Amino acid sequence: MTLLFEIKDLTGGYSGTNVVFDVSAKIDRGGILGVFGRNGVGKSTLARLANGGLPPSGGQILLDGDRIEELPAFMRRELGIGFMPQESLVFDNLSVRENLYIGTIGESPGLYFDRFPVLARRLDQIAGAMSGGERKILSFVRSMIEDTRLVILDEPSEGVQSENINLMATCLKERAAKGAGIMIFEQNLGFLASVADHFLGLDAGRAVYSEPSSNSSETEIRAILAL
Amino acid sequence: MSFALILNLVWHVGTLALIALGLAIVFGKLRILNMAHGEFVMIGAYSPVITSSMGLPGWLQLPVCLLTVGLVALAVERTVVCRLYGRMFDSLLATWGISILLREAVELIFGRGYQSVSLPIPGTVQIFGTSYPAYRIAIIGCIALGFAILAWWNSRSMVATRIKAMVENPGLAQAVGINTGRLSAWAFVFGCCTAGLAGLALAPTIRVEPMMGLDYLIKSFFALVVGGLGTLEGLGLGAGIIAGTQSLVGAALNQTYGYLAVLSLSILFLWLKPDGIHSALR
Repeated sequence: MTLLFEIKDLTGGYSGTNVVFDVSAKIDRGGILGVFGRNGVGKSTLARLANGGLPPSGGQILLDGDRIEELPAFMRRELGIGFMPQESLVFDNLSVRENLYIGTIGESPGLYFDRFPVLARRLDQIAGAMSGGERKILSFVRSMIEDTRLVILDEPSEGVQSENINLMATCLKERAAKGAGIMIFEQNLGFLASVADHFLGLDAGRAVYSEPSSNSSETEIRAILAL
Repeated sequence: MSFALILNLVWHVGTLALIALGLAIVFGKLRILNMAHGEFVMIGAYSPVITSSMGLPGWLQLPVCLLTVGLVALAVERTVVCRLYGRMFDSLLATWGISILLREAVELIFGRGYQSVSLPIPGTVQIFGTSYPAYRIAIIGCIALGFAILAWWNSRSMVATRIKAMVENPGLAQAVGINTGRLSAWAFVFGCCTAGLAGLALAPTIRVEPMMGLDYLIKSFFALVVGGLGTLEGLGLGAGIIAGTQSLVGAALNQTYGYLAVLSLSILFLWLKPDGIHSALR
């Protein structure tokens, strides 16, 4: 497998206060990196540093070998980095259809409508009328159908019914099998373990664990989460 | 009712709709309470004054108008307005200051006195036995064509959706690939340019002076209040009701009563139907 995305000694945070320190990680084409850690250890900050929503204060980000850490989010999206945020994750005032088609699309959403029929039923309703779990599904599907080579997802399963979490896992594995890289930030360890081929553990803004899934022990991961 | 009165009504509605269109984009979409909107009408109206003072041929009025208004609008957006998205009250204060600055700047260059602008198309045409200025007929035709093109384009392009998305959630808009800085700057410049074009169209029919913008700002806000924000239909309705009331009551009684009628109507709408007749706000 070939290297797609790399972060090197990434440091950053909000207006001068760093929250993430010297984090490094690699994602191959077709690889799924699962990032775990307790609440408030810097997962969302790292996700936004990777997507470009926050500028880093140090370190490098490389996509296919090109340095991109100085680029704003919309340029990283043009280069093929998709993002599903944890909060404010859909456009509430736009219809479900407009939410799906606002970016450039790589594949038709037909398959996803079969899996998540709630989207097909509500295409012309505004996204703000949906429940929290349904908004997660809408944002998730939007990030899946975009023409991206790397998808960053911040807590996609939070508040989603378990059968739909299983479908999300299927979608992620298929997307990776087609050559995309996936970076997924999760609290749901079962979901993370079902998709990730590499684990990255964060604590107090630093990477404290980095192992391929074949070499990971659940007790070690649980120990980090319970620190 | 004479046919000339109807044509006058169409003239007032059309020019007001053009000014209110810009405000509908800047206020309705970008959520910037642009108190300097009328000053862009004024700058547009000065563009024939600019071309004649520089000895340029008359056909350059249109490009000079777009260039001047566009550059001033771009400068205002990039220096001040770009910092004020999502801060509507602050935008009111800042653009109020800008409106004073623009009025004073124009006064400094051209003086306080009235400028007269000659009609580019002189003469009258006969329509249904009524003679009416050919210039106004040509402008009414251009405005109608412009709105038809805009409605067609608006139904096909995602730009209105992208602007709505950007204003609601700029972070997510960037993450789906929208260049928010460029989109908001273009939307603001486009909105100011429609005001400038209306000013250019109106220039030969009114007294051009630095203070002229305020009246148009107020009337176009009233048109948006009455018609509602977010749809072209509401915009047309609002402009029709405001300009229609003013010119009909004004013709029947006098201009003061016409203005009073518009004010009373707008207060009634703000009180009883604050979202307007045809609002798309949800």
